[in-house]
Amino acid sequence: MQFSRRNFFKFMGVAGASVAALPSSARAWKSKAPPDSYGCLVDLTRCVGCRKCEEACSEVNKLPAPERADCQCTIFDRKRRPDDKAYTVVNRYFTGKLDQFDNPLPTYAKVQCMHCQDPSCVSACLAGALTKDETGAVKYDVSRCIGCRYCMVACPFEIPAYEYHNPITPKVMKCTFCYDRISEQGGLPGCATICPTEALTFGKRKTILKVAQKRLKENPGKYIDYVYGEKEVGGTSWLYISSVPFEKVNLPALPNKPLPKLSETIQHSLFSYLWSPLALFGVLGAVMYKSNKVQEEPQNKGGA
Amino acid sequence: MKIKMVRKIIFLAGLVILATALCMAEVWKAPDQEKAREKAKKIVPFIKEYKDDCKINRKICLMDAGISIKDVKDVYFLLDSPIIKKREDHYEPVRFAHKRHAALIQDCSMCHHYRPKDENALETTRCSACHQDSFNPDHPERIGIKAAYHQQCVKCHTAEAKGPVDCKGCHLQKVPDHKDLVKLPDNADPFQVTAECLRCHDTQGEDMLKTAHWLWKGPSPYTTGHRKDIMHGKGTTALNNY
Repeated sequence: MQFSRRNFFKFMGVAGASVAALPSSARAWKSKAPPDSYGCLVDLTRCVGCRKCEEACSEVNKLPAPERADCQCTIFDRKRRPDDKAYTVVNRYFTGKLDQFDNPLPTYAKVQCMHCQDPSCVSACLAGALTKDETGAVKYDVSRCIGCRYCMVACPFEIPAYEYHNPITPKVMKCTFCYDRISEQGGLPGCATICPTEALTFGKRKTILKVAQKRLKENPGKYIDYVYGEKEVGGTSWLYISSVPFEKVNLPALPNKPLPKLSETIQHSLFSYLWSPLALFGVLGAVMYKSNKVQEEPQNKGGA
Repeated sequence: MKIKMVRKIIFLAGLVILATALCMAEVWKAPDQEKAREKAKKIVPFIKEYKDDCKINRKICLMDAGISIKDVKDVYFLLDSPIIKKREDHYEPVRFAHKRHAALIQDCSMCHHYRPKDENALETTRCSACHQDSFNPDHPERIGIKAAYHQQCVKCHTAEAKGPVDCKGCHLQKVPDHKDLVKLPDNADPFQVTAECLRCHDTQGEDMLKTAHWLWKGPSPYTTGHRKDIMHGKGTTALNNY
């Protein structure tokens, strides 16, 4: 029997798909979001672009001081990303809004790790170096990290950065949600402490979600009636409200379902009780056995 | 001759007495400033409930109560609440001319936007009676005192296009005492002095090298208000730029 390459893939595809559907329904994927986690609300209409959050962040996390901390003159000319030297950065966007004197109005947006409720980076991490804490923080444990950088690929917000300049002891660098500070009673993240206009509101995620919704309701017309991060990728600890469309301030449109749901469902259903490798090697064994038999028969005839 | 001598002696003695009296007396302090400093230190009891009036209503209430500029007792405030200082202390406190703002705006409800729910309370209260520490879990929608000041000041100054909106427009920066920071030998030469400045201010040094002050032509990108290109400079074609 000739088992062509094409036929082999066809067979495997059909077989895999038909059985993969069975156990997945038996054990549905469950969100591992902590029940009473913290959150932080960013109100983009309140941010004045002073970059004090960057300064406080670098001080609290012992990072190098931000570039031109005291001077806002040219720093906003280019768009920046959080990197291994800064966990958070503020960017300026001109979205076409004008003030009463017809001058373009800037919108400032702070970027940092969103601390997703069901983080893709945690799901992608092979070594368990990244974990979702019950405070809501996505924690990083350098002693477990193997440096594969899967987290950087997995993150939908492209946040984790890597210390490429440090070849011996490199770390994945990203916002820690000031884990050590917020786990204490009444502790606040560095950025929220310093914000002069309270553009950052810190508290329990449930509470600040209500605060956000109240603010939207009480100021009709001021905001876009949407809390970014409430549902994005299954919800994030950091929430944004804004008067300009979120895509214009580099907050990407993302699906509402948690990203690890699909990958984990496939993985967990394929590998539960190792049934799929067993099935695969079983099929391969059967094919080998059969083809061996076919080859042996003519030899026996010739010898006789 | 003798009389002149006596006069001189008396004059000198007078000077000495005056000088000692000046030294003995305390350094003069502005009474307003001292009063404001004392007042700023005080933390008033927190008002939990406020009357949720609309702005027009509030304005009418204040007018009905007959509150006018004559009722402004505090001419001057120092916005220096210990509530803010507890968390951080980056700038010198803002000096707020209360009466001047009241006279200019002629509308108390711009800042005194709500009143305590208690009917016996005064019509106007201090900012810090309602706005205290940020992120109070019992009152999550209430902004803290620092945010209340900043939001109120910046919003109004922007809308009126009057008054400062940048940090240093209102605050003096807390500059550390350079007496302790600068370490130079006696009779330091100019190179040592420059090197000592650059020890901390290296960014400023780098910036200087990009300006026309150093290159003698081209733009000066970090000198606000003086960014105009100098295309001909002493570095190339011109003898002098003036």
